[in-house]
Amino acid sequence: MNKITKKKESKFLPGKGITKIKTVPNQQELERNKDLEYYKDIFYQCGKCGTCRTAYHENGWPRICPSGEFGNFEAYYLGGKNLLTWAISTDQLKWTENLAKIFYRCSVCLACTQQCQIPEIHHYAGEWLMAMREEAVRQGYGPMPEQVKYTEHVLKENNPYMEKHKDRTNWLSSNIRQTPDAKIAYFVGCTSSYREKEVAIATAEILNSMHVDFKILSAEICCGSPLYMTGQTEKAKEIAEKNINNYNEAGINKIITSCAGCYRMLKETYPNKFNIDHGIEILHLPEFLLDKLNKDELKFNKELNMKITYHDPCHIGRHMGIYEPPREVLKKLPGIELEEMPRNRHNAWCCGSGGGVRSAFKKMSAFSANERIEEAKETKSEAIVSCCPFCLNQFKTNIKNNEIMAFDLSELIRKAL
Amino acid sequence: MLYKGKLKMNNSKVVSELEQIVGDDYVSEEPEITFLYHYDFITAEPEGKCDIAIMPGSAEEVQEIVKIANKHKIPLVPWVSGINFGSIATPRRGGIVIDMRRLNKVLEVNEDDMYAIIEGGITWADLKGYLDTHHPHFRAGVTWSPPGTGVVPSCLCYGMFDLGMIGGTGAEFINGLEVVLGSGELVKVGSCALSNLWYGRQPLPDLAGLFIGWEGTTGIVTKMAIKLWPKLPFRTDYISMAQTMEEGIPMMLKLSKAGLGIVDLCIINLGWAQSLFCFDSKNLAIDPLELGLADFFGIISTQAYTEEQHNAQCKAIEEICSEFNVTPLTADTQVKNFPENLLGIVHHISPSTGGQTPIHFWGCWNFSRGGGGEWIGSYCSTRNILKYYQLSRKVCIKYEHPPQFYSRLMMGGHYCVARTNINFNKNDPEAIQKARDCLKEIHEAVQNIDGVVMYKPPTWALEHNKNKTLPATNILIKKIKKLLDPNDIMNPGQGIEGE
Repeated sequence: MNKITKKKESKFLPGKGITKIKTVPNQQELERNKDLEYYKDIFYQCGKCGTCRTAYHENGWPRICPSGEFGNFEAYYLGGKNLLTWAISTDQLKWTENLAKIFYRCSVCLACTQQCQIPEIHHYAGEWLMAMREEAVRQGYGPMPEQVKYTEHVLKENNPYMEKHKDRTNWLSSNIRQTPDAKIAYFVGCTSSYREKEVAIATAEILNSMHVDFKILSAEICCGSPLYMTGQTEKAKEIAEKNINNYNEAGINKIITSCAGCYRMLKETYPNKFNIDHGIEILHLPEFLLDKLNKDELKFNKELNMKITYHDPCHIGRHMGIYEPPREVLKKLPGIELEEMPRNRHNAWCCGSGGGVRSAFKKMSAFSANERIEEAKETKSEAIVSCCPFCLNQFKTNIKNNEIMAFDLSELIRKAL
Repeated sequence: MLYKGKLKMNNSKVVSELEQIVGDDYVSEEPEITFLYHYDFITAEPEGKCDIAIMPGSAEEVQEIVKIANKHKIPLVPWVSGINFGSIATPRRGGIVIDMRRLNKVLEVNEDDMYAIIEGGITWADLKGYLDTHHPHFRAGVTWSPPGTGVVPSCLCYGMFDLGMIGGTGAEFINGLEVVLGSGELVKVGSCALSNLWYGRQPLPDLAGLFIGWEGTTGIVTKMAIKLWPKLPFRTDYISMAQTMEEGIPMMLKLSKAGLGIVDLCIINLGWAQSLFCFDSKNLAIDPLELGLADFFGIISTQAYTEEQHNAQCKAIEEICSEFNVTPLTADTQVKNFPENLLGIVHHISPSTGGQTPIHFWGCWNFSRGGGGEWIGSYCSTRNILKYYQLSRKVCIKYEHPPQFYSRLMMGGHYCVARTNINFNKNDPEAIQKARDCLKEIHEAVQNIDGVVMYKPPTWALEHNKNKTLPATNILIKKIKKLLDPNDIMNPGQGIEGE
């Protein structure tokens, strides 16, 4: 038999952090961001086999689904959700408040879809998990009451944190230099603006240290992720259009963001779901920094002498495929020893804050966070590091008695400058 | 009183009592929760009805649940994944489905006597993961079933593992059981009944037989000891091919009597191989033999303690194969040389699987791209494998289903399993009915072969078994069932007694 020469190509789907199943013939290539009707012939291909519960064939076969591990019943795992979606699409079940809760009690981290070995479910289940939320909103069963509350505030004050819009840039100090006619903008995001201000400060100072000409728009508003992730697509789209309009008018051609959720929205959701062809290059901070490091445009002067472990945020990880740049940056930090958690990269355990879970399902959110914190502690690391202020805030909220420290990558880099 | 068909009970009252046992997070009568326990979502068998789903966290909670069920005369159905291809965990008369998956721990591993004590709801993923992490020199058998399926039900229902040639069926891997009876009493059977060691069922009366093969109708297993085996350093998996089953089966039968460190012998036809490669059956010929394609694949797995011994065993295996004009290639070689996009589940052979076949997978059950599958699987005499295949193949082709056949020789060649699978679109009522008709006709054809006994049979097949069984044996079965489950609450309508 002739040997096939295999080309080296990414093992992930284009633009995603989900692996591509290459070994199953006759797969369907489907489109993303469609409604339930489009995917209706995939749901019943699920056999509820339970593969989605554990990291498939990884060492130790660890559990992988926070929604399922907390909820326990079949319904909370992907297999259950696939078949409930089938039941809804074939009128075997009707929409109820309880059904909506089952679908909302999930951070849409996509760890489950990563495990399924049926290609169409593996590659696309995230689409109908979101489509079910959209349908829940259409049916009047979504979003959850807590999410309704923050949505109202986003629409009024442009952030979900019940803060005033006018206070959004209060974190900015006078020693941070901005360039008024810069073409690069730093999109701070709501979490860094109002809660994890050190991330915003650190990012801005890093950009200053590299003499990057950038600016922060006072007109920056919520990226819309808290609305989009809870099925409120139309409202999220309106916010997106307003946001992008501000950036286009300001002549911005590149946006750097330090928030995983904002990155995902700006880079993927705005053009592909909302059809906003903004023409702006979107970079997540580690991507930008790695490029600078490789060109010797960023230098580190201080040893950090710390053992750390890295947590992959879902919205840059499985959702967008950024796994290595943060690690490459970390490895270049002097004195940093990086120890991986067993569940890492496409098999990372979700921190439990995304998808509206943190506001509406606090116990599940805390369960998910504590599971990850325990996993981080088992690496004997001094700190857990991520590239998402939402993950960071989640860890800091749930870490008890200084059992481990939590940092954003930007904070470590600032320490090393 | 129990009613056949729809059960009358006051759900809310029962739920309230059950909440006192497990807490309200772990019991539900919500339709969105119970829906997923109505049936297995794979087979062509009719749905049942789950009235209440509950997830106990301990054997004691299981006992309390059973006592409540007895009080109200409510059916109880133990469940791990529900996937058993006979639909035997479908609640035929309504009632409470006990999802055992909170009981998912490995409690102890005894490396001297090589067993693990596991809880009743543990999955294959849980068990393999634990052993690989904490006891990497030992292994459990590996099934063909998905990683999310249950270890205990697999053993109790005579499932088969890749160590079948040395260990027999899953039932023979059982060293001991802890069981909650239909009365709510907790018993232990095996050496564990009178010691802290669970090394075996001997030399006591083998009471494990009261729970093996009974499909959850005599008790709910809350703990089990399963035999482990040392991971020997040298192992080879061969995938051999021959043009026909007539050529390949005799080769496998000879290998089964040769020793040679053989731990697994599987016979697979082209249809089953095509599903393992995850093809879409719509793109394939119904009868590939008409195209002159090879129809026999034999998996031969051998292991040894030393390289010298292993090489000698492999040489002898290859020599036996060559007597039948077969040159077996190793699975390794097959994987390296097969086009990547046609590898199907074979690509799952990886370091984390120990580089071994078989592996936990699912993809083949989507052969029809319709998510439905069921089989007529039987234990039978090794002399009848070919006949079983020939008869079932004929029926499959009649119903325009690609014949998918699989046989596994077990316990040193003393017996085997023979299985013919059907896949179908479970969203299409016509396809479901056609599958049912096909399965029943296959059953009719093969059950007339002497020695063929279907395992994990759906309810419609049970009558056949009963009619063939000695009347005195049937009476004994009835007596035992009555003794262990006086109120007929344990998975009623299923198991050897059926309706």
